[in-house]
Amino acid sequence: MSDADLDLLSESFADLLRAEWPIERAVAFASGDPAAISTNEGLQRSVIELGWPALTIAEEHGGLGLSRAAMARLYLALGAAVAPVPMLDTTLAAALIGDAGTPAQRERWLPLIASGSVRASISQPAMPALRCDGARMSGHARGLLDGGAANLFLLAAERRGRRGWVAIEASAAGVLVVPRRLVDPSRSAAEVVLDEVAVEDDAWILPPDPGRVADHLLRHAAIALAADALGAAESALASVIDYLKTRQQFGKVIGSFQALKHRLADHSTALVGARELLAYVAAMDDEDHHGLLNAISAKAQIARVAADVTRDCIQLFGGIGFTAEHPAHLYLKRAKLDEALFETGAGLLDRVADLLEAA
Amino acid sequence: MANPGSRLLTGLTDDDAFRRGVQAWLANALPTDWRTRLQGATEEDVNRFQLWWLEERRKVGLATPHWPREWGGPGLPFSRQIIAYEEMARADAPELELMLISLFHLPATLFDAGTQEQRDLYLSGVRDGNDVWCQGFSEPGAGSDLASIRTTAARDADHYVVNGQKTWSSYAMYADYCLLLVRTDPHAARKHDGLSLFILDMRSPGVTVRPIRQITGEGEFAEIFLDDVIIPASNRIGAENRGWAIAQSTLSSERGLLLLSYAERVWQGYRKLSQVTRPSWLSDVGLRREFASFHAELLTVRLMIGRLLSMTEESEEGRLATLPVYIKLYWAPLLQRYTEFLVRAGGLVDQEWQPPVACTGHSSGVPALDFLKSFSWTISGGSNEIMRNIVAERFLGLPRA
Ligand SMILES: Cc1cc2nc3c(=O)[nH]c(=O)nc-3n(C[C@H](O)[C@H](O)[C@H](O)COP(=O)(O)OP(=O)(O)OC[C@H]3O[C@@H](n4cnc5c(N)ncnc54)[C@H](O)[C@@H]3O)c2cc1C
Repeated sequence: MSDADLDLLSESFADLLRAEWPIERAVAFASGDPAAISTNEGLQRSVIELGWPALTIAEEHGGLGLSRAAMARLYLALGAAVAPVPMLDTTLAAALIGDAGTPAQRERWLPLIASGSVRASISQPAMPALRCDGARMSGHARGLLDGGAANLFLLAAERRGRRGWVAIEASAAGVLVVPRRLVDPSRSAAEVVLDEVAVEDDAWILPPDPGRVADHLLRHAAIALAADALGAAESALASVIDYLKTRQQFGKVIGSFQALKHRLADHSTALVGARELLAYVAAMDDEDHHGLLNAISAKAQIARVAADVTRDCIQLFGGIGFTAEHPAHLYLKRAKLDEALFETGAGLLDRVADLLEAA
Repeated sequence: MANPGSRLLTGLTDDDAFRRGVQAWLANALPTDWRTRLQGATEEDVNRFQLWWLEERRKVGLATPHWPREWGGPGLPFSRQIIAYEEMARADAPELELMLISLFHLPATLFDAGTQEQRDLYLSGVRDGNDVWCQGFSEPGAGSDLASIRTTAARDADHYVVNGQKTWSSYAMYADYCLLLVRTDPHAARKHDGLSLFILDMRSPGVTVRPIRQITGEGEFAEIFLDDVIIPASNRIGAENRGWAIAQSTLSSERGLLLLSYAERVWQGYRKLSQVTRPSWLSDVGLRREFASFHAELLTVRLMIGRLLSMTEESEEGRLATLPVYIKLYWAPLLQRYTEFLVRAGGLVDQEWQPPVACTGHSSGVPALDFLKSFSWTISGGSNEIMRNIVAERFLGLPRA
């Protein structure tokens, strides 16, 4: 896809979100406004109608077969609108099944994910694996992003010494889903408790090289999260720049104070650089030797910058930025969750260092 | 040699063949021990060495790889200019620091604003000769506020008489010529409108140069005293009182290929640390993480430079105005933080003084000196603070104070 095509795609994402999820609605939704909660359902329907969950799924399985670069544009838009669309884990579930699932699993799940009738949630890499050597499984899994809205869970699990994932449907007997609120009101998580849940053989995804598969997922997640965080930071920065041009104190527009200007200039520079880095890592070939290194390195860096910019934006807004009615906190919370998902800075940086030494 | 043209790499018309040609030439022409020989060498030896290397480059047509044919350069397509600088940096070929202004700032200045005679005369002195140029913009009273220059040039028949003082002029003590920015109209309503740019022959009577020692111990820049110096009117670049705009193009010339070369060297050094040198501090978890965190930023700055170069080629006007400033403001503080980190990581070992290694950009391998040298990017050519003012006021539209 050319840059111009990607730009068109970005426009189409932004158009829908502008219409269905203006920032006032995001604020209302965060404060539990029932009207906003019902419009959210409309947003979820539109998202499915437009095929966003199908974006990266192969065409043969009912998807649109678009690239990671296209995916990055989607997450930029979702982050920019702080949209409560449970997308990340669905994207990752599709990547997992597409990469390591059996042909039967692909045929079964991918079209359902693409059509939006299956929404998935997948274990974070830091979570311990469940164990099950027989036909029934018990245990519990925490930190499942988008879990409250999911009807399919892909849980890190071990079977007879082999590591992989097990697919558990939310509706299966013995499955209890306990929703968990997150600090970020635009997303949520869940804990899943399994009590003697029947697990068929074909529920298992047990690739011969689970480490490689996990890295493949990590690479997807890193790019999606970096994009999401960057989208939030760009929105936050644009809104604070506007504010600084009108708010007056000491008889002057506060944007004329150099102490503030310089911070904005640094933030702007950091985000311009982040855009360049994101575009590069999102466009790298699957086979590229440095693909994982660059993706996780970019995630650690961009999420850090985004968290920092969105943090400073609250400070720059002053008291109004501390109110729940103002969107500034939504951007910060979004960026902080993106930073924490799929390993925080320290874990990622250790991995970056390993890969640098190995490369 | 019967046909000296046969050694020219610039005749290779395919990018891959050109890259291989440059690599092979470098492997052959570059002495492996040049760093050792140059460490702590006298300034004269360092200069001699640079002129020798310029001559080696000239033999294969790469004295001025980025000059278009109109400047008398090889007229390489952009992709091959990038390859030339990339490969020279990767092979750790010497950076021609003495020729910095000659190779980059001079042509950028003369190309748009110079006369044909000026271009023919002065560009050939770099292309075919060893002319060293310096830049005389800053003064004791005119640094960031460059437009407040007080050195004057008074018109007298077919020449100007120049009086005043310049400072911080890199390599002025070795320079043959100087790009001199002076005031020609003391009464201009806007102080920017009273400036003109000249070519000063450094051998002119009345020119005195006093070298200034830098924090790195090297004597890289100098003061220039100008006492009734005569400059022929034909040495004025561009129209009278139009010097300010021309000077801006002089200054922006360092944010493209020159920076590519510097950034590529730092990148090479970074990769080498984790893969070859493996300093003992890499076994400290905290320092190792901090080291790893620079990967994304160093990669980013290379990507930004690459974007700028490809845009220059496609002349995408819009971002061409903003990206060079963003690059400078990304690169300068990053370079400083990174080199500071290396000094801190090295601990007491790197507090022991070691002689500098010239011609290595910011990758001399002496961390303390690389760190100290990083201020040349954060202060000169528009300080970090001035860059931030530009971003905030011109790009983000915030009001002036
Ligand atoms: C290594 C090196 C090489 C150089 N080579 C050359 C050369 O070849 N030719 C040449 O002409 N000059 C050269 N310079 C000079 C350089 O361009 C100036 O040092 C630079 O423009 C800053 O001016 P100044 O030193 O007078 O500092 P000042 O302008 O006095 O600045 C002092 C401090 O105040 C800050 N400041 C100034 N104005 C503002 C503002 N409006 N808002 C916020 N902060 C502000 C600056 O950022 C800086 O931190 C060189 C400098 C260095 C360090």
